[in-house]
Amino acid sequence: MRKLFLQMTGLIYLISLPYFTFSQARDISGRVTDTKGLPVVGASVTVKQSAQGTMTDADGKFKLNVPSGSTLIIGSAGYRAQAFNADDLAAGAQIKLEEDVARLDEVVVTGLATAVKRRNLANAVTTISSKELSGVAPAQTFDAALEGKIPGAYINANTGAPGGGISVKLRGVTSVYGNTQPLYVVDGVFVDNTATSAGLNVVTAALGNGAITSNANGSTQDNPSSRIADLRAEDIESIEILKGASAAAVYGSKAAGGVVIITTKKGKEGKTRVSISQDLGQISVRKLLGVRHYTDANLAKDPAASPSFIQAFKDAESAGLPMHDYEKEVWGNKGFARNTVLSVSGGNAKTNFYFSGSQKDEGGIMKNTGYRNSSLRLNLEHRLTDNIKIGVSSNYINSSADRGLTGNDNAGVSVGIALSSTPEFAQLHPDASGNYPNNPYAASNPLQTIALMTNNEAVNRFITGLNLEAILQKGKKSNTKLVGKGGIDFYNLETNAIFPSILQFQAVNKGTSIQGFTKNLNTNYIFSLVNTLTPSDRLSLTTSAGLTQETGDYNNLLNVATQVIAGQSNVNQAGALNAQQTRIKFQNEGIFIQEEASIIDALMLTAGVRFDRSSNNGDVAKYYAYPKAGISWNLTKMNFLKNDLFDNLKLRAAYGEANNVPAYGSKFTAFNISNIAGNPGLIVNPQEGQPGIKPERQTELETGIDFSLLKGKLSFELTYYDKNIYDFLMQASLPSSSGFTSEWVNAGNLRNQGVEFGMNARPVESKTITWNTSVNFWQNRSSVTKLIIPSVPQGSFGYVLGSFQIQQGKSATQILGLDGKGGVSKLGDAEPTFQMSTYNEITFFNKLSLRFLLHWKKGGQNVNLTSLENDFGGTSADYDRVTNKAGLPDGFYRITQVGSDAHEFVQTSSYLRLREIGLYYSFTKLPVSYVKGIRVGVSLNNYLTITKYKSYDPEVSNFGTGFSSGVDVDPYPVTKRADFHISFDF
Amino acid sequence: MKKNIAIYMVFLLSAGLIFSSCKKDYGDLNHATVESFTKNASVSELNNLVSGTESGLRNSLALYLDVVGIIGRELYHFSTSEPRYVTDLLGANDAKLSNSNFYITNTWASRYAVIKNCNVLIQAANNSTLVTASQKSGYIGFARTIKAYQLLMCLNQTDSNGIRIDVSDPNNLGPIVGYDDALTAIASLLDSAKNDFSNADVAFSLAGFTGFSNAGGLTKANRALAARVAVYRHQWDDALADLNESFFSLQGNFNTGIFNVFGTGSGDQLNTFFIPQNQTGEVRLAHPSYAADIEANDDRIGKATLRTAVASLNGLSSDRDIWVYTSSTAPIPIIRNEELILIYAEAQIQKNDLVDAVAALNIIREGHSLPDYSGTVSQPALITEMLNQRRYSLFCEGHRWVDMRRYHLLDQLPIDRPEDNVWTEFPLPVSEQQ
Repeated sequence: MRKLFLQMTGLIYLISLPYFTFSQARDISGRVTDTKGLPVVGASVTVKQSAQGTMTDADGKFKLNVPSGSTLIIGSAGYRAQAFNADDLAAGAQIKLEEDVARLDEVVVTGLATAVKRRNLANAVTTISSKELSGVAPAQTFDAALEGKIPGAYINANTGAPGGGISVKLRGVTSVYGNTQPLYVVDGVFVDNTATSAGLNVVTAALGNGAITSNANGSTQDNPSSRIADLRAEDIESIEILKGASAAAVYGSKAAGGVVIITTKKGKEGKTRVSISQDLGQISVRKLLGVRHYTDANLAKDPAASPSFIQAFKDAESAGLPMHDYEKEVWGNKGFARNTVLSVSGGNAKTNFYFSGSQKDEGGIMKNTGYRNSSLRLNLEHRLTDNIKIGVSSNYINSSADRGLTGNDNAGVSVGIALSSTPEFAQLHPDASGNYPNNPYAASNPLQTIALMTNNEAVNRFITGLNLEAILQKGKKSNTKLVGKGGIDFYNLETNAIFPSILQFQAVNKGTSIQGFTKNLNTNYIFSLVNTLTPSDRLSLTTSAGLTQETGDYNNLLNVATQVIAGQSNVNQAGALNAQQTRIKFQNEGIFIQEEASIIDALMLTAGVRFDRSSNNGDVAKYYAYPKAGISWNLTKMNFLKNDLFDNLKLRAAYGEANNVPAYGSKFTAFNISNIAGNPGLIVNPQEGQPGIKPERQTELETGIDFSLLKGKLSFELTYYDKNIYDFLMQASLPSSSGFTSEWVNAGNLRNQGVEFGMNARPVESKTITWNTSVNFWQNRSSVTKLIIPSVPQGSFGYVLGSFQIQQGKSATQILGLDGKGGVSKLGDAEPTFQMSTYNEITFFNKLSLRFLLHWKKGGQNVNLTSLENDFGGTSADYDRVTNKAGLPDGFYRITQVGSDAHEFVQTSSYLRLREIGLYYSFTKLPVSYVKGIRVGVSLNNYLTITKYKSYDPEVSNFGTGFSSGVDVDPYPVTKRADFHISFDF
Repeated sequence: MKKNIAIYMVFLLSAGLIFSSCKKDYGDLNHATVESFTKNASVSELNNLVSGTESGLRNSLALYLDVVGIIGRELYHFSTSEPRYVTDLLGANDAKLSNSNFYITNTWASRYAVIKNCNVLIQAANNSTLVTASQKSGYIGFARTIKAYQLLMCLNQTDSNGIRIDVSDPNNLGPIVGYDDALTAIASLLDSAKNDFSNADVAFSLAGFTGFSNAGGLTKANRALAARVAVYRHQWDDALADLNESFFSLQGNFNTGIFNVFGTGSGDQLNTFFIPQNQTGEVRLAHPSYAADIEANDDRIGKATLRTAVASLNGLSSDRDIWVYTSSTAPIPIIRNEELILIYAEAQIQKNDLVDAVAALNIIREGHSLPDYSGTVSQPALITEMLNQRRYSLFCEGHRWVDMRRYHLLDQLPIDRPEDNVWTEFPLPVSEQQ
């Protein structure tokens, strides 16, 4: 046996204290700084082959008693760890740490209770730091801030309305009608991200007649916000994204869509730090489509203009009535945005804390819309004994979003739809006493709707996480600890939608009030035992095993009152009342075991298996097994590849399986309430139950090569993945003559293959300028490899306007439609050809920092009905241009294509976007001593986009988070924002 | 190492014990399930199915009246958010009816959902030990009558493309049956329901069957529908026989009959065909030919009231709102006496009993402030008159298109725009073509 070597993770450094006594020991001390001489606070200083160690204080200083002849490892997050011979370190030595451009020493959480350094990782795990997340130009919500920062992700906005609503898909379509969204884990708590409909379908009739909510096929057309948007980006220390089963298998049945692991900020030992930051900004519409200007000449050439319409225009013209750009009037509001964050953090050897209180308040681009979020967070860590550490993170959030009425609609009431048929000569403004005229050109007067309606979502939410680490056994070669993590996520959501009887479209219902009350409680825990065994210094084995459980209890009550008494909103102040209650409960249980082996710090082998069962499965008692395995081989750590060119060279491969449980209730054939004249009635639900429903299973093989050159100043990461989804869940269309229109089935297999390429570099580094850059490229291709049910159009609007369709041998996201030659052909694919992004930070004189994020999406099609609606209503800006062969006005010509050719509606949505750009200046030498630093900055978000896409924004998904992404139906337009930032550190 | 393995073993073992004891199955927290109803249903459970069935008749009914009315050139539905009412359905430009669009998929699915409910009702009644044999007959007779009516509505849309009759086993559906065979099957379903009612005890209450809610009344309603099917089948003697057993009355109120009723109660439905007068944006308008072709003094002009402003969309316009259903709780007829009188007239014309036919048509004319029929008394002339009276009497009740098709006269329906087409039938929904 050769020399003993103990590989330990950063986590263990923190919790371990010296317990060996050495005969020959000496005190050493030193100061750790970065290359510019600034102290590195909280750097870990540990003795190799032992659990002995300490951390640097606020000045970067440390003191440690070490045995002579030992090796010290000094490192810190964001810096490359370095080894020193303790005997060579003089007292008060100055140690300079180099920045870890390639992030090789970053610790990445890979297991439920274990972590490894990035240099040994078998997967490409994306990490987003606090600075990248919110330090450039803050986005509307936390989830919107992920856009362009995750290679492998395809992110769309369900709506531009205040409060957001984002659809995130990692590495392609992972499910058809199952959950496609990733799991969010905040400090060990599985956080709910349900989008709850406010029942707007009652007035919009977006989905058929009668239904209260437009929830179908895993998506909703009511454009609710995602609940994950409640989180505050400012509290987040870092985000890790496990993009597929190969990395996320330990999360079992919830991991098929990937896992987003969020770690919030913690206090550090040392002086208490107080920081206040204030943002002030303006939100405005990113783009307007423009409106049609009518003239006698162009109306005469318009076959769709009826004589009465032409007459109305002539009358308005001769009466000298003002012409209005209603689009600008409706979406032209400038929203004021403010955001204040106070944070206090600090700690001592036993306890540390992080507290933050924050509030943001934003106006919308439509009057009477806006978003307010107030949040309190307290994170505490306490060391009970040398062997036991507990941590609590708690977060209270209160948010309120006024979201307007936008999106798909079959009643002519949503603002975009009403605008689409309202000509500039319509007179919609209120008279002196505030009475709005009826809009003769649409079912609603959008100005009246905006002024008088309410659509509010209000949330009160508690997220509390608990962490326990207890060392059960410590020995020279082995130590064992118990890790317990878990927590609760509880929220109350109130949705309040009021449409007073005075509204034009309330002529029948005479006032509608829809009051929704939702209570959701999620709990989860993980208990695991972790043993680290180091039989020799060339081998380290980490074994972990444990239990997990997740539960969910969702209860939604929607009350729909019509014929509401004027001025009232309570649902009992009404002539008629309907109610709908939806409850969802589930419990998932898992058992896992995982083994990680590190051989001479160069070869890392991982294998594990998880067994899962769920109350949503057909067989609730059956455990499904999900194995995983990984290997990473760091060639530069081997003797045969020691050269100056490669600083680091690693080959890696990982395989894993995960699943997606069936939707709640898919086992049962249910009855729906169908009353008549006071007789309670039941009618068979059109969805047939499937008692034998199984979870869908995902397997993913990921391989890659990572290398860094020039002492880590230039690093590359290349990844290829092959992700197969077996037995994917689909709501199969049944011949509706069976009485059922759909049933959940395990319908077939689906494959996603893709490549991700990442580069991190520091092209310029001098005393005056430092430039850090990262470039990412990613693409994904999907293919349906097996389909056991007949292929029919899915989602969207049928072949006439372009429809998704799952077909064996074809891309899962293909869009089919009428091809103008009498048949149905593929007209597009929602999948982009590729995406690329680059994040850059250029620092001048260590004080002035310019940061920007560019994002290019090439290819991929949307189903654009916004332009169609405008053509159909005769209001599109280019309506009267003649560029078609038929010599008709373009707007009219495009309408003539409806029913024979859908090419016009399936549009490429490529874009190049300067997503975020910010310029910040730090003052560090200040005249007063109690202020340690001031930072000021300006930023622009979403200000520059180059696209040929003919609607408000190419990043659109108005049908929610499900499979039908890229559908564009008169959304609340996407916004841009300009902010001024100032922050003080005390 | 051994010690660790022991720890894990104990840990996993205890884990296994904890887990096997707490597996969860929450059931369906939101709904009653079909499985539970088909075991041994009580009277109140069976009555829930009856009411659900009656209520379900109204699902997509406004859409059905829309699509057959639009193709039959009775009405326009202008909707700023839904172009297909004025494009596909009128055959604008190159537009065709699609087998995946709402105008066939939604109506078809809604009808077959009711048929499914009827089949569950039959199964539940047969499996129940809590009801008497005659009560069973009542449930089954009702279920069969409604099935026949729903199948007929599907067939009205798909015509020669046929419908599926045998749908009792969702996993093993019967074949698509052509027009003639489908009508035969519908007629025999109605006949077997009549037989069920002959010794039935009705243990349920209905909302829209006022006066026809006992076994005798349900038989009359059943025969009224049978008469409609008989004329579709050109079985004129059968039609007259069915009328005799129905609530047909030459002197009776035109509006005696069975109806879909609407209400504001919880879980109930409103008449969504109703739109107040003079609305904009979302409107239903009478086709301009309705007013243009109407005889002077016909009070049925009141079914299409003049608007304060012309409504127009996509090259179409009309100055009359539809005013057949004048509130959101106005009932929509399933079948009523006015149609039965016209069926009587039709059967008599076809049997060449023209005097009785004219007498019946005059009852209709007089009922609408018109003078007696003064035209030629011949079979062709009276057919024209009969169809015209049907057009005005049954306006927006879903008949015009079907009637003109029955008599091969679709080419006489007016075309508004040069490229428009009059469709003869809908394709089968895409889901049926598998």
